[in-house]
Amino acid sequence: MGLLTIIRKNRQKEKEMRILFLGLDNAGKTTILKKLNGEDIMSVSPTLGFNIKTFAHGKYTLNIWDVGGQRTLRPYWRNYFEQTDALVWVVDSGDRMRMQDCKHELHSLLTEDRLAGASLLVLANKQDLRGSMTEDEIHDALDLRSIKSHNWKIWPCSAVTGKNLVSGLDWVVNDVAGRLYYSSSSTVQNQSSLGIPAAESDNSPPGILAA
Amino acid sequence: MAESTWTFSQTFSTKFQSTRSDLEKRVNTAKSSSPSQELLRSLTIDLAKLTRGLADATGSLPGYDQKQYEIQVKALEKDLENLRASSAPKSKFSFKKKQAAVSIPAPVAVEPRVTLEQSIVAPSKNLEISSHAYTYLTTDSVSGPPEQSELTISDLDHCIVDLLPRASVSDSGSGDIPHNLSPRVSALHIQNLIDTVLILPEINGSVLLHDLIRCVVVVGCHQFRMHTSQKVDVFLSISSNPIIEHCKDIRFSQYPQQLSSSGMGDKPAKELYVQDFSHIRSTPSPHWTLLGDESQDRKWPVEWIRGRGNLEHTLSMLLPASPSLNS
Repeated sequence: MGLLTIIRKNRQKEKEMRILFLGLDNAGKTTILKKLNGEDIMSVSPTLGFNIKTFAHGKYTLNIWDVGGQRTLRPYWRNYFEQTDALVWVVDSGDRMRMQDCKHELHSLLTEDRLAGASLLVLANKQDLRGSMTEDEIHDALDLRSIKSHNWKIWPCSAVTGKNLVSGLDWVVNDVAGRLYYSSSSTVQNQSSLGIPAAESDNSPPGILAA
Repeated sequence: MAESTWTFSQTFSTKFQSTRSDLEKRVNTAKSSSPSQELLRSLTIDLAKLTRGLADATGSLPGYDQKQYEIQVKALEKDLENLRASSAPKSKFSFKKKQAAVSIPAPVAVEPRVTLEQSIVAPSKNLEISSHAYTYLTTDSVSGPPEQSELTISDLDHCIVDLLPRASVSDSGSGDIPHNLSPRVSALHIQNLIDTVLILPEINGSVLLHDLIRCVVVVGCHQFRMHTSQKVDVFLSISSNPIIEHCKDIRFSQYPQQLSSSGMGDKPAKELYVQDFSHIRSTPSPHWTLLGDESQDRKWPVEWIRGRGNLEHTLSMLLPASPSLNS
């Protein structure tokens, strides 16, 4: 078929995923990525614009987009929604003052058509700080229970110590993989030959909506 | 594509103008009578919505229009702020001892959306210094469970806060009160300060500041973010780039050598490269400057300050609004 089909086929072969990291400023988005990549985290400056990181994670290649969270940058988030397989929402667990702000920003993102279907991982970062909000507290503060539109999970972690970062990423990758690459390779072939890319087929695995 | 942008801009402009003029009318009506708190609140919310809508339309409007609308919104904000000030002149610093930090209507409504949403805050378990006026505060004034690693400093007026380790070697010796904060505290949230001097140690983590007016901040940290503040002098030791957003008249300098207790002072000071997120252009930001070397000669208070007269005198020597510094 056309170019698009070739690109899609290619994408399936390489098993790429596009993951978008968002969250309020000071949440630790860039620090998490630097930590995952084994880079120095002491000199991370607030992000003006965005960073892209490409990781190999298991048999998948992750293209991670980390967009600055300052208030002036938030209107630009929408420029990064296209083709997003997973949204990672990073929360500063110590920032009680802005939990409401955080909740609103997250819930308004989830109404976005272009993010529909993307898996959602909420990273409760900065768990290394004593006295920061727990996973359960953040679960309530962000009203995660009300999210029915996305397959989501909350994951306590710490960018400074590196705790739970990889396991969180594991969850999100598996969740996306279950959706995108659910079919065995033979069925993918079949579908492709019919011109229905697996990524867009209605063939969601059971439980995808049962968040 | 251009067509649709044009159509959007047309419809947006019509809608924006009608909402704005409606809001303006309501503010003007409110001016003639004494407005109730509910009315003020609803005005604030509507204005915040308008501001939000405009921000969201960024990029889809012609630059000139965008600018004009922003000016109009600013004017409205100012009107509303005056209105709020005139309707509740005493509410500015009526501190209540319990949980007052949460309910105080923020005197600076530069970002109404933020202040509104703070009314519901998760129960605080942080270390805290909150709601003081005309007071000299040290590590003894920090309340909260001593083992926490986050400190919130909020709602202060005409205060000097000195949290350097040496300051705590004072009256009450032992106890649960954390005396040397710097090794444990690794996150600082600072909010709603007026005419206040903060002398803080070098911490291992980030500092987040909102709504400071005429203040001096001395701090060392990994990350520094300042929002919606004016006339603040910042003395900073930092390993990344400090940033400001929606700020005006901010002056930066290095962490004073004489106050530096850790090894950080030995390192050659890294040149401060401030980024202004509300001025993302190639031209230099008009919102901040670097202070000259003479700023390092500022006389920092090294001893416990007693008495309101002494406090006010010291404040007048240190604060950026004082005439002695505006030479």
